[in-house]
Amino acid sequence: MKTKIYTVVFAVLVSVLGYAQEKEMPPKGGEPAGFTLPEKKVINYENGLQLVLVPYGSIPKASVSITVKTGNIHEKENEVWLTDLLGELMKEGSTGNYDVKNKLAGMGGNLNIGVGVHTVSLSTRVLAEFTPEALNTLADVLMNPKWPATELDRLKGNMKRDVTVSLSRPGAQAQKEFFAEIYPDHPYGKVFPTVEQVESYTVDQIKGYYDANFGAQRTTVYVVGKFDATKVKEVVDARLSQWRKGPEQFYPVAQPHTEATVRVIDRPGAPQSTIYFGLPAADPSSEDYISLDIMNSLLGGSFGSRITSNIREDKGYTYSPYSNLQTNYKNGLWYEVADVTTEHTGASLDEIKKEIKRLQNEAPSKEELEGIQNYESGLYVLQNSTPGGIIGQLTFLDIHELDESFLVNKVKAMNAVTPEEVQEMAKKYIKPENMTLVVVGDKEKIKDQVQETIKKPVDKEQ
Amino acid sequence: MLLLLGAFLVSCNQSETKEETTSAAIDKFSVPVEYYKLDNGLKVILSQDKTSPTVIVAAYYNIGFRIEPKDRTGFAHLFEHMMFQGSKNLGKMEFIKLVQSNGGVLNGSTRFDFTNYFEIVPSNKLETMLWAEADRMRGLDITQENLTNQQGVVKNEVKVNVLNQPYGGFPWLDMPQYANTNWYNAHNFYGDLEDLDAANLEDVASFFKTYYAPNNAAISVVGDFEPGEAKAWIEKYFGNIPSAEIPPLPDISEPRQEEAKDFIKDDALANKPAIAVAYHMPPRNSPEYYAMGLLDQILIQGDNALLQKKLVDELGYTSDVQGGINYLGNMFNYNGPMQIMFNFTYDNDTTKEEVMVAVDEVIAEVSEGITQEMIDNAIVKGRSALYDVIGGTFGLGRADLLCSFALFDDDPSRINSIEDEFDKVTPEIMNRTVSEYLRKTNRTTLTVNPLLANNENVN
Repeated sequence: MKTKIYTVVFAVLVSVLGYAQEKEMPPKGGEPAGFTLPEKKVINYENGLQLVLVPYGSIPKASVSITVKTGNIHEKENEVWLTDLLGELMKEGSTGNYDVKNKLAGMGGNLNIGVGVHTVSLSTRVLAEFTPEALNTLADVLMNPKWPATELDRLKGNMKRDVTVSLSRPGAQAQKEFFAEIYPDHPYGKVFPTVEQVESYTVDQIKGYYDANFGAQRTTVYVVGKFDATKVKEVVDARLSQWRKGPEQFYPVAQPHTEATVRVIDRPGAPQSTIYFGLPAADPSSEDYISLDIMNSLLGGSFGSRITSNIREDKGYTYSPYSNLQTNYKNGLWYEVADVTTEHTGASLDEIKKEIKRLQNEAPSKEELEGIQNYESGLYVLQNSTPGGIIGQLTFLDIHELDESFLVNKVKAMNAVTPEEVQEMAKKYIKPENMTLVVVGDKEKIKDQVQETIKKPVDKEQ
Repeated sequence: MLLLLGAFLVSCNQSETKEETTSAAIDKFSVPVEYYKLDNGLKVILSQDKTSPTVIVAAYYNIGFRIEPKDRTGFAHLFEHMMFQGSKNLGKMEFIKLVQSNGGVLNGSTRFDFTNYFEIVPSNKLETMLWAEADRMRGLDITQENLTNQQGVVKNEVKVNVLNQPYGGFPWLDMPQYANTNWYNAHNFYGDLEDLDAANLEDVASFFKTYYAPNNAAISVVGDFEPGEAKAWIEKYFGNIPSAEIPPLPDISEPRQEEAKDFIKDDALANKPAIAVAYHMPPRNSPEYYAMGLLDQILIQGDNALLQKKLVDELGYTSDVQGGINYLGNMFNYNGPMQIMFNFTYDNDTTKEEVMVAVDEVIAEVSEGITQEMIDNAIVKGRSALYDVIGGTFGLGRADLLCSFALFDDDPSRINSIEDEFDKVTPEIMNRTVSEYLRKTNRTTLTVNPLLANNENVN
């Protein structure tokens, strides 16, 4: 009997101890240091060119980027990746009698030509003392490209090889089909070219595209880091300020669409299914954009978000799921991407839909929202605290024709979003019944699961 | 008070002018380093940088996947996931939520010779993060449910990065298994799925007890902080975590390779062949090691590297040659046998023999003799790359070198002598490095045989 009593006493003690040893709370930390955007100097030239100088940081290097507002968005029907090929041919150098690659390497940099949907940028990152010379070299390549026809076949061969390899990846297959569904009539919907398209491209086509789309009015020069501002400006004064005006900024507006299409693309034997699931949503020009962005971060866009907590940290169905609010010109997209275990394909889709519905039916707690707002405020500081990040943020404003106040007031606007607004955004935009679904996986094993979850027959197959 | 961020040594003729605008001058960058140890053996490195109002806390443990238990391949990495699953004061998801709701980002990774965890936060949250890192260094609170969950997550990680991808694991995960002979260097670091499934809570407890002690760790704080405050918090939160007896490192050495090795890997998901070529590295920190760092610049890195010029520009075999020393980091953050390697994809109508003839031509070119000019050019590229590491990712690159040098060499100030070590390399050292380390018999090649070569399935 006695032992029993002891046991009871022991149990009570433990629980008392347990109570006494309540969890320690994390120290809150001090007052925020406050953050202002790095100061920049903007010079506008008569030909429409803009120079943006941002002295920044302590590392003796500078990032130089000449960004032209053209890109895949200006390609015609059968010109998918013509801009990319232009970029590759441009890398072959200028009409000047020197080796561009050797020259930039001697400054600690490379010649990078990045081709995106909305921009083409010539950039390099060099040791501080070479900044003016590096800019001079990039300007030469941009304004006086050599366009050597002898290199075209080799570059086309590279492109064909790279496209073929890319499309053997499930992520690229899913991406290609998803965007083709959402944007049937716009370059946004043509993520990869066909091998035949690449074969057909000529130097004349590239030159024609360059003449039609490149010029000072579409061009901004960014120099961020440690550099001699006077000398950098002298280079622009002497070279780029003399460049032809070229066309005005113009991006054709796309008409996105979604018809609750379900596509299953067969990848026999795949141990995972690659999911793209989403629909058109608001873009940065919309007054809903900031609220929707916060909603995205809470729903699936951050590691601590609801969908990630659910299908990764609770269920273990996947490793790196994420949702994205993609900002295209005058239209946006929201979508969830996840590679999930084949046998949990249906269950994963089900949980994603459940999380969307839950947010539609009930506003998040103030505490949960505040956590996300703090996270996004922190990310804002990080996004504006590297040379590449600074250039990226300014380019974003430029593409979307936003005033600088958008960036200056962003943190304030994010923190003003209410729980009810988050719920409202989910109701207004994230409608699972309208979403386009693309799944790349083992069709035999997942077809029924997908049907069961979506309650609609798989209407297109490959 | 704002400390000067290192000294800019202007290496021009000082008597001529003191103006800062002497643009031809070369700025050398020096990283502030304050290094000390707590009584329990924890190594601490502080480096201030007030570029932005952010700070990074990095915790490095001297346990990489190389020396994980033999019947538990992949365990070091699985364990890394467990460090996010709950400690005494922070339950599952609470660590992550704590960092994010304080405006920060976080991650962890498992490498050859360490496992790291870091948080990048607004500078006023430094104390919060030091408390949280100390909490999980003090002890974990893991349930079977959480372990099972993360076994699922890690198996999905292996699937998404390896099993469901063409060239999955090629060559970063594959090459160590082919080039090395010692199990510690040559096993599957991601882990066999069976071994991952076999892991249990006892394994978790024992691994933590063995390797996650303060005397087997280094923490670094880089960014916008006041050293006095930081030191007081570090003492307060980490100071009384007990140290432990750390087992001696096993023998991880590799014998000198005497014969060329050549392997083929069938890939059921790939449609184009690919090749990786690897050479064993000279011992870390030897003159030859730094020479190999420069050879990396000469042969592989950047637009004007010799392999790029030959294979991309001249022959058009590929669009890009990737490569370097240590695919899971850089030439500074490992501590054991390593390979310098490069890899690329090529077309089905190009033969492996053609590819290797071209590679051999490039190696023959450097074997004919390295000039001082080649060294000078490589040093410029190397310095530029080093500055990006030291200044990159909100202090992560710097914290990484500081912790690595503290753990491996007990000397984080080495970060400031790297440039000098490269400067010491002579053509003679380069030539003997080429002849001993870029010899064919020190080489391993691995070719991907694309089983989908006849079914390119485009569009």
